Amino acid sequence: MNSPISRVFVFLLIVLGVYLWIGYSITALTGSGDKATTVVEITPEGGEAIYWGKGRCFTCHSVGGQGSAVRGPNHGQFGEKFQQAMGARATERAAARTEKEGVEFTAVDYIVESLASPGAFVVEGYKNEMAVVYAPPISLNLKEIKAIVSYMMSLGGDLDMEAIDSAPSEITAKLYSKISAAAEAGGGDPELGAEVYEDNCVECHALGEEEDGEIGPNLSGIAATGLKFISESILAPAKSLTKGYETYVVINNEGRQFIGLKTRDGDGEVDITNALGDVETIAKADIKEIRIDDTLSIMPDDISEVLTVKEYQDVLSFLMLQKPAQEE
Amino acid sequence: MGARLAKAGVMRVGLFTMAGLFLFMASSPAFALEENVYRQFMGLDSRRLVWFLAQMHLFFGAFVLGVPLFAVIIEVVGWKNDDSKFDNLAYEFTSLLSVAYATTAALGGLLAFALFTLYPTFMGYMAGIFKDVMFMYALLFFGETFCLYLYYYGWKWLKSGAPFPAASRWVFKGLSIIVAIFSLALLAGYVGPEMRTDTRWFIFLLYLLPIAIGLWIIRGRKTTHIFIGIMLNVFGTAIMQLANSWAGFMMSPTGVDADGTFVGTVWQAFENILATPIAIHRMLGNLAFGGLVAGSYAAVKFISAKTQEERAHYDWMGYISNFVAIVALIPLPFAGYYLGREVYSTSAVMGNNMMGGDFSWTFIIQAMLVGSLFLISNYYLWSGMTRIPGAERYYKFIKWILLALILSLAIWLTPHNLPLSSLEVGEMGGSQYHPVLKFLGLMPAKNAVVNLIILATFFSFLLYRRGNMKEPVSVRQQGKGARITIIVVGAVAIAMVAQYAWVMLNMDPAELDLPADRAQYIRTIGYALVAECLVGVIAIILALVDRGKLGQGLYLAATALNVTGFLGVYGFVVMEKASPVLRNVAVSQFLQLISCLILVGVIDIFLFKRAKSLGKMQWGKMTSRSQYALLLLTFVITMNMGLMGFIRSGLRGDWHIFGVMRDTSQWAGTPSNFVMTQQVSAAVLLFMVGTAFMFWLGSIANSKGEE
Repeated sequence: MNSPISRVFVFLLIVLGVYLWIGYSITALTGSGDKATTVVEITPEGGEAIYWGKGRCFTCHSVGGQGSAVRGPNHGQFGEKFQQAMGARATERAAARTEKEGVEFTAVDYIVESLASPGAFVVEGYKNEMAVVYAPPISLNLKEIKAIVSYMMSLGGDLDMEAIDSAPSEITAKLYSKISAAAEAGGGDPELGAEVYEDNCVECHALGEEEDGEIGPNLSGIAATGLKFISESILAPAKSLTKGYETYVVINNEGRQFIGLKTRDGDGEVDITNALGDVETIAKADIKEIRIDDTLSIMPDDISEVLTVKEYQDVLSFLMLQKPAQEE
Repeated sequence: MGARLAKAGVMRVGLFTMAGLFLFMASSPAFALEENVYRQFMGLDSRRLVWFLAQMHLFFGAFVLGVPLFAVIIEVVGWKNDDSKFDNLAYEFTSLLSVAYATTAALGGLLAFALFTLYPTFMGYMAGIFKDVMFMYALLFFGETFCLYLYYYGWKWLKSGAPFPAASRWVFKGLSIIVAIFSLALLAGYVGPEMRTDTRWFIFLLYLLPIAIGLWIIRGRKTTHIFIGIMLNVFGTAIMQLANSWAGFMMSPTGVDADGTFVGTVWQAFENILATPIAIHRMLGNLAFGGLVAGSYAAVKFISAKTQEERAHYDWMGYISNFVAIVALIPLPFAGYYLGREVYSTSAVMGNNMMGGDFSWTFIIQAMLVGSLFLISNYYLWSGMTRIPGAERYYKFIKWILLALILSLAIWLTPHNLPLSSLEVGEMGGSQYHPVLKFLGLMPAKNAVVNLIILATFFSFLLYRRGNMKEPVSVRQQGKGARITIIVVGAVAIAMVAQYAWVMLNMDPAELDLPADRAQYIRTIGYALVAECLVGVIAIILALVDRGKLGQGLYLAATALNVTGFLGVYGFVVMEKASPVLRNVAVSQFLQLISCLILVGVIDIFLFKRAKSLGKMQWGKMTSRSQYALLLLTFVITMNMGLMGFIRSGLRGDWHIFGVMRDTSQWAGTPSNFVMTQQVSAAVLLFMVGTAFMFWLGSIANSKGEE
């Protein structure tokens, strides 16, 4: 015990003992770190559980004296800056929103919008940096978001469950639709997705009845095909070809090969349009072989080189909003 | 004995590398959307098992990567000054490595086995993305192994000898020029793939520039040995960076693959957002850690020394180790701040969880540990002043430095609110916030005091440095070189502050989503920075007219006042009126502090260059208490490394790969701080016991060798 090594070893054990004691004491003060995810109902209580648990709202917001975060506005009544709790404040914010947009917003509309599009109407003095709560890693579903809305409205406001759940206003319904589409697509933002679509897809595809794409199929109503199909069509286009958009391989008598869509089949000739939109007219008499190759698609399959994860999710969520007319 | 150990080490490294590669190749690629498979070994909690093994591997790895960094620097100092004492010290540091290296590789193999067998889906997915990087990782191990053993066992062989023929030297110089040109082209973005600026600088500063310098200085056996040491560090750093890219990818994945899973090109995956910030933080951490572990070796040797000569040697070794650690510790909080900022940029959820969520209390523990590191380092320096004749002149300052450190620490540790019972809340007037202390828990207060802690430590070091120096030397009499150096280095230091002042004076508030009327809060920071620059210029002028001490004092005082006093308080105003600007306040504080350290440091070098001494340093005249302080530093930094690893890894929450592959195992979730301290304590205990054993083994090998 008197050897230097023994003394050092005992010293180490004492230091580690103090460390363990600190860890134990803090855990005893704050509770266990694990937070179980529970199934919640669309009620203020359910919303409160999400707010302080899975939704992680507490990391940026506080509710009155509960919590300590100051990055986002306090949702309770707190000091001079927040003289009303969120439910009551939402009515005033909705009025300001109505004035700005010229469209009637209700308190529920305002709160739903602040969750669906947090950057749309940021509280002055705060940065537009709120996380997308229906995207990973938080990944709240629509039911959980509705629960949070009810919790917010219960903080000093008139709680109208019909407006939140069963009979939402047009604005809220549209925002719910956005949340659902985005949540299904891994949390992308449809508005940003529209930009990604504009940059990468419009040259070949079209949306709307009167603008058929010349190379790719019209994507109106594509949401009906489901997320899996859309996802596969983007990442591995050859696996999910739409009828009428098969890839043709044409070899002429000179042995030259043309690959593309058959965009015209005339009496004596065919038009083959390649991925760049260039049209080759080939006389039928010159064709040695013509066949459909179902392993090929003229849609680029190098999308992984072009899009980031976020852009991919954004465009997916945008396409998930392209529902058939009768569904809208 | 040494050669046998080396052979065994090389064989073990090779064996485990091959085993890792075999496992990697045997694992089938898996996809993020597949259902995860989890396995257990002997009914153990797989997560805790992997956590423990990873922690052990990282402890040994950090030591093995950290020690060569300063061993080579010390060797260069010895070579430049023709001082064999430094050369011997560098050799002694390196001797600690040989056994640790094989143990690191063995633990790495064990970790790979555990990961591939217990988390096959996850590892299959990772291997699918990083297969090229993993092969390169294994190959780099061979490079590092070769360099390490050549560096250690070739030390005496390459110690002296005739210079190389002129033709050979010109070949090395030519190669050096080629590497230098390539490195500058890479830095300018003319060559290499698209990459982040920090990655570009990392590659430039830690790979290409050292290689170019190493080639340039080759002129004989000794310089060839130094070049091998440089290559050892280059290989080690590359290995660390490659492994970091996996950890970074798990936190900030990039890319989409062709099968519906989220992957990208190898380069994209490798150069993910967090890879380089983690690598920078880890490099500094490894340097501090390596220094302190070597210091603890010196401390144990000092405590058990039988002769005054031994005590003197190990006292000096401990001092050098602690010096290395402090040099790395000072910028470490800022590297941490940068990493934290990038974490926040990657995901606000992850960032908020870090400082305000699950890990807020873990950060309180971290603050205790880091604060202790600074406090104990200062104590060690003050203890060291007892061996410096003349240093008693400066004892009077110690109590004030101590006061500043303790007050700063207390503020740093103060939480914003407390988990209180309803009774306690009632006693505090119905609030969780203490009416006064609540302000100390906010970021402006923390930023202010962390800067003051670093300034105080720097001040302690200045006192230590000038302990036995009689009077400052005239800068004017030191020739043009001294004056030009002060002007150039000072200008660089001031330019760092000035460029940010310019940014602050021209920034549009809209960039921070703020209305135009909040511009005043940004401009005020700019004015504070301009004032700092002006004081810097005055300090340089004073140094040039032989009033260097006054210049130093002025710049130190202005920085303390500006960074801690003014911006510390102003941070609260900014937080209330324009909270997004708070980050700019923190950056401005950091830049002023670094500028102060550089400018005051360079003035100090010339102020006491060849100054008359009041007596020789009395190495060995140290208390045993000071050696326990060195040991405590090692224990604390090791615990802190474990804790920071927990935070970094835990930030992903219940995701293996954040936002891409969810952890669906029974062990998903964030463990409590108590679990963290249990895991880390067990790893620290085993690491320390293992290290002691290895040092003992190394000393046997050395003593046999001497016989």
